[in-house]
Amino acid sequence: MGRVIVVTSGKGGVGKTTSTANLGTALALLDKTVAVVDADVGLRNLDIVMGLESRIVYTSMDVIEKQCELSKALVRDRRVDGLMLLAASQKNNKDDIQPEQMKAICDKLRTTHDFVLIDSPAGIERGFSNASAGADEAIVVTTPDVSAIRDADRIIGLLQNARIEPINLVINRFSPQLVGNGSMMDQDDVLDILNIELIGVVPEDSGVINSTNRGIPLVYEDGSPGAQAYMRIARRLTGQRIPIHNFEQKGLLNNIVNWFTRKR
Amino acid sequence: MNRSLAGASVQIDLKSPTLKEAEIELLSSKLQETYDLTVRGVEVADEPAAPPIAAAPTTHVISQTTDPRPSRDNEPSRIVPHTIRSGQTEEFPQGSLIIYGDVNSGGEVRAGGDIVVLGTLRGSAYAGMNGRLSAVIIAMDFAPLQLQIGNYVNRSSVSQAPRGYPEIARIGAENVIIVEKFVKF
Ligand SMILES: Nc1ncnc2c1ncn2[C@@H]1O[C@H](COP(=O)(O)OP(=O)(O)OP(=O)(O)O)[C@@H](O)[C@H]1O
Ligand SMILES: [Mg+2]
Repeated sequence: MGRVIVVTSGKGGVGKTTSTANLGTALALLDKTVAVVDADVGLRNLDIVMGLESRIVYTSMDVIEKQCELSKALVRDRRVDGLMLLAASQKNNKDDIQPEQMKAICDKLRTTHDFVLIDSPAGIERGFSNASAGADEAIVVTTPDVSAIRDADRIIGLLQNARIEPINLVINRFSPQLVGNGSMMDQDDVLDILNIELIGVVPEDSGVINSTNRGIPLVYEDGSPGAQAYMRIARRLTGQRIPIHNFEQKGLLNNIVNWFTRKR
Repeated sequence: MNRSLAGASVQIDLKSPTLKEAEIELLSSKLQETYDLTVRGVEVADEPAAPPIAAAPTTHVISQTTDPRPSRDNEPSRIVPHTIRSGQTEEFPQGSLIIYGDVNSGGEVRAGGDIVVLGTLRGSAYAGMNGRLSAVIIAMDFAPLQLQIGNYVNRSSVSQAPRGYPEIARIGAENVIIVEKFVKF
């Protein structure tokens, strides 16, 4: 039986879709069978980020309305074995789907895949309830700023109420430079507030926007700091014990450099 | 003046003892000659009137109990064994609240008695919600968004980085909420 993991955040634009696409692809690269599910009905973009936009014929709405079989609605990613996408309907909205219907889809997908990753929409309303309805576990994505953290905190409370666990944290768009000069919270500040397990830190990486535009998840072209971070998170999800990469070491170096180069 | 009261004897109830003997004399004779009222006695409240509100008051009115040290012996307390996260509220009007965790920004705790946070207070805390001005708020790390004790509110001035030692908030002499290092009860 596969694991169903909802990727969520509360605040919009912090990197849920980027994380779902990269972790899904990374897990497939690690020889797992993976289904990524876009739960952002009406505002779908997981298909774009994964470069599968042009191949979508059916969506989860068609499966729910029994217009087609679930297996037929899944789009296979041809670049790697074992990776499938279930797209969201663009012409419907979040209220057109019931949480139980999403749960039924997840329960079916887990019988055929090791991992089912669900890309949640922002917010705490219906879209979030639908996305988390079938999940056993959660990955909460946040950026290291107070408003994203407060929203992450809100979502963690809701996930705990729904008895979804473990809840793992991804800190995205981390910038050692900004931490170094004191304008960004560091990892410990974030963990101090949210107090859940940290599964990875993804640095700010200019490669992300380019990969999004080309529809090629970062992890296909390893080497970039972002790709490496997502690969490490995927390994941790499969149970490998890898220490959290300390980007702040570089921050310290930057600190020293800043100290020598700043105007006095 | 209602005529039927003419010739009655009255009791004057003064809220503040600021009238001098001679002034009371004058008041009595004026009442006598103008309204035919006999002043039987003058009562002066021994308790001064409600203090002027120094901190910003809330919009709702709370009946104040000014008893400085009400007994908490028979009062229940509630232990909350987890962190209060953003959007969560814990309310216990019957007594005091003890939080085994943090109160995060966007979270809120309200108690009839005291509030003790065995972690970091980053959200809002409202102690003495039934008007008890002797209620206190204690946290291991103190960085609240908003504090309220009785009907006294303290907003931005207490919002600060934690100092690394426990602190206590209570209503001080000037009827403002003061926050200081917590040593012992
Ligand atoms: N590590 C990163 N470095 C640089 N840019 C990033 C990073 N992660 C995400 N981004 C950029 O941030 C934007 C938002 O990312 P994404 O769409 O994944 O967020 P989201 O949480 O899914 O948003 P929404 O709430 O709208 O669904 C995108 O333009 C993406 O390219
Ligand atoms: Mg998204």
